[in-house]
Amino acid sequence: MNKTIFERGSAGHIRIHVLPTNRFKTFAVSLYAGIPLDSETVTTTALTPFVLRRGTVSYPETIQFREQLELMYGAGFGFDVYKRGNYQIVQIRMDTINDSFVQSQESLLAKTFAFLGEVVTKPVMENNGFRAAYVTTERENVRKKLESIINDKIRYAAERCIEVMFEGDPYRLHPLGQRADLDNITPETLYEAYRNWLRQASLDLYVVGDTTLAEVQELVEKMFDLNRSDTPNYAPAEKNTQPKEVRTVKERLDVNQGKLNLGLRTSITYRDDQYASALLYSGILGSYPHSKLFMNVREKESLAYYAASRYDGHKGLMTIQSGIEIANYEKALRIIREQLDSMRAGDISELEMTQTKAMIRNSLQEMQDSAFEMIAYDFNRVLSGKERPVEDLLAQVEKVTAADVVQAAETFQLDTIYFLTGPKEE
Amino acid sequence: MEAIRYDALQETLYRETMDNGLQVYVLPKPGFQKTYATFSTKYGSIDNRFQVEGQEEISVPDGIAHFLEHKMFEEPEGDIFAKFASQGASANAFTSFDQTVYLFSATENISDNLETLINFVQHPYFTDQNVEKEKGIIGQEIGMYRDNPDWRVYFGLIEAMYKVHPVHIDIAGTVESIGTITKETLYTCYNAFYHPSNMLLFVVGGVDPEEVFRLVRENQAKKDYPPQGTIERKFDPEPSGVNEARRECKLPVSLPKCLFGFKETKLGFSGAELLRRDLATKLALDLLLGASTKLYQKLYDMDLISDSFSHEYNSNPNYAFSAIGGDTKDPDKLLQVITEEIKNVTASGFRAEDFERARKKKIGGYLRMLNSPENIAHEFTRYRFRGGDLFDVLPVYESLSLDEVNARLREHIDWNQLAVSLVVSP
Repeated sequence: MNKTIFERGSAGHIRIHVLPTNRFKTFAVSLYAGIPLDSETVTTTALTPFVLRRGTVSYPETIQFREQLELMYGAGFGFDVYKRGNYQIVQIRMDTINDSFVQSQESLLAKTFAFLGEVVTKPVMENNGFRAAYVTTERENVRKKLESIINDKIRYAAERCIEVMFEGDPYRLHPLGQRADLDNITPETLYEAYRNWLRQASLDLYVVGDTTLAEVQELVEKMFDLNRSDTPNYAPAEKNTQPKEVRTVKERLDVNQGKLNLGLRTSITYRDDQYASALLYSGILGSYPHSKLFMNVREKESLAYYAASRYDGHKGLMTIQSGIEIANYEKALRIIREQLDSMRAGDISELEMTQTKAMIRNSLQEMQDSAFEMIAYDFNRVLSGKERPVEDLLAQVEKVTAADVVQAAETFQLDTIYFLTGPKEE
Repeated sequence: MEAIRYDALQETLYRETMDNGLQVYVLPKPGFQKTYATFSTKYGSIDNRFQVEGQEEISVPDGIAHFLEHKMFEEPEGDIFAKFASQGASANAFTSFDQTVYLFSATENISDNLETLINFVQHPYFTDQNVEKEKGIIGQEIGMYRDNPDWRVYFGLIEAMYKVHPVHIDIAGTVESIGTITKETLYTCYNAFYHPSNMLLFVVGGVDPEEVFRLVRENQAKKDYPPQGTIERKFDPEPSGVNEARRECKLPVSLPKCLFGFKETKLGFSGAELLRRDLATKLALDLLLGASTKLYQKLYDMDLISDSFSHEYNSNPNYAFSAIGGDTKDPDKLLQVITEEIKNVTASGFRAEDFERARKKKIGGYLRMLNSPENIAHEFTRYRFRGGDLFDVLPVYESLSLDEVNARLREHIDWNQLAVSLVVSP
């Protein structure tokens, strides 16, 4: 396969990662800003990009801001706020057409950087803060987003499971912050929080497209006026503590279908040599349609439409989720626990090993066809401090034996069982 | 094998129709790791009454196209997912109103995976027992959607609009309707709609077109498909006006969900004409309701909409409708403000400057979409089944005129054809 090699540099205390390629019709640009998850700053950090996308010095009105994007051939602009390990990450993305497909006078890459630079460093101001009207409406917008989590019961149950499991740990925090904090945020306090955030955050800027590191470095120097004095690194995640006992929490809502979620802790994180074994473990257990959860909970017992596991190597966390008939709670839980036990007991066939390896190989290889997926994979390296090119991980996955998977299985300890059930007594 | 070169897009599409009528298209993407293939039948939830030339007319249970999709994955030797997994492919399928699509994505064993895809879809294996088992799984899938307010508000809108046309029937059917499905009804539908002349294979990725065509030719030559006459899909006339002006559903939600739209009265378009109407309508809706319009900003500032506000247009030769809306604290006020603005805009028409900008945005969005093999395969097939060509989108956007888009808007906005769907908390 092609080697994916990002060229690295920096400018203005922003790390820069560029992958020159002409495989895509666009320039994919992604800025990551990460700070440690903390209840003091989680809400202001979450609110900041919502206000930044309302207006800049050159495009103070939101309509002007959006018209500018449309004039750049409908450049994609978006952002996400999420958790990775113990960090709250704000990711701002742009996706702009490569000039060769359209008749553009000026370089669209230069325009993209001019725009992104403004968004991040030159928000529209009023007195000594952000524009008050933008702060007010975006505060309500974030509040609505937090309140709307309950609308999607699958997501709601997943979030609740994490909150229960990480009580007292910053990881319990929702990446969009805490509703109670919103009322006290003013245009001035938010602006101050934003300045601190820009000073302290680890900043990584990625570009994939028909360009060079030198070109990007020059654009960043010109367009990002940050006044930073440091290029902070991410601190690697600490080892997870083992759960003392399994906690079971049941909550009621007006739902037709029950949502059963399990949370497990593991000491294996992205940095570890055992990382590939943990991927195999989660894969055989529940990441694919050939996995034990799908085969047993769904295909054999017809208990669910979905039953799957997900492993998060940055937190050392595995979650299992399934939607079931409320009356089948005990049975579904028993079958899921049997799958966990069978993994520990080494009930892993040669076929399961080869199938799962092939699936992991496929997902790692196909990432190379998406600019943003390549960027996301490379960001793991920044976040964990562990250099692991795709080719290395592929080789590590190939070497994993069933015995290695059993060894990994021993580190996965059930911590929390969360069940979202209906309003009536069963 | 015929090559069609699209210079402006820097793409070449290859096509060939097999002797049995199967249409095969290949879009090579040099440098891509992945191959993505879809094998689709022009058969979806709306095809519940039909007559194959020379046979009797029949009616089938609601949800059967989707049920059939589930059951295709079972083969005498077991679940086909396992075979794909052994070959490193990620497989899936989905059913919509008017098509059923089987797909895989893989970075290796492409020929084997392509053979597997074609063979499993061309080999039905239904037993009384495996049909019964699936009812439990699909029952849970139906339960999951019943709890999903976004799905409920969307389907509620179609139910409010359509009285007769089967587009208003839930794609998965109901627990009762799927209860009546037997292996015999499945075979009947299979035999009618899975004839190669009703199907399309699309392959995109790092492949050699000639190799793909050779593989498909040899594969099809081994199978015996007697020629099949045309399939006549029977639809009773849909009355003008809407079924219900307003439909409400109770589910726990943080804010009411409000979706409204106009049901098209002029139908029967297909091919290039349908494509042009489709794009003109989408452009008109974007000019009316997009994120850079005054109306959008006004509604946002009035706290009547949030980022969830969106619009879409769905068109087929025998049904077409718009769907507009999102979460709102006050559905009546939202509708009132939008109604006033729509009346103003339909009277005055759009401004030339806004039109040009919106056109650029659409062209950019289209080019960005072409970065994704998945999107190319899905969109190409969708347009093809309606007689259109995905690769004509760019020239159509370039040739649309302001007058045409204004006229399309005026035709689409017919207040007698307006329906509203709400999901509110109990």
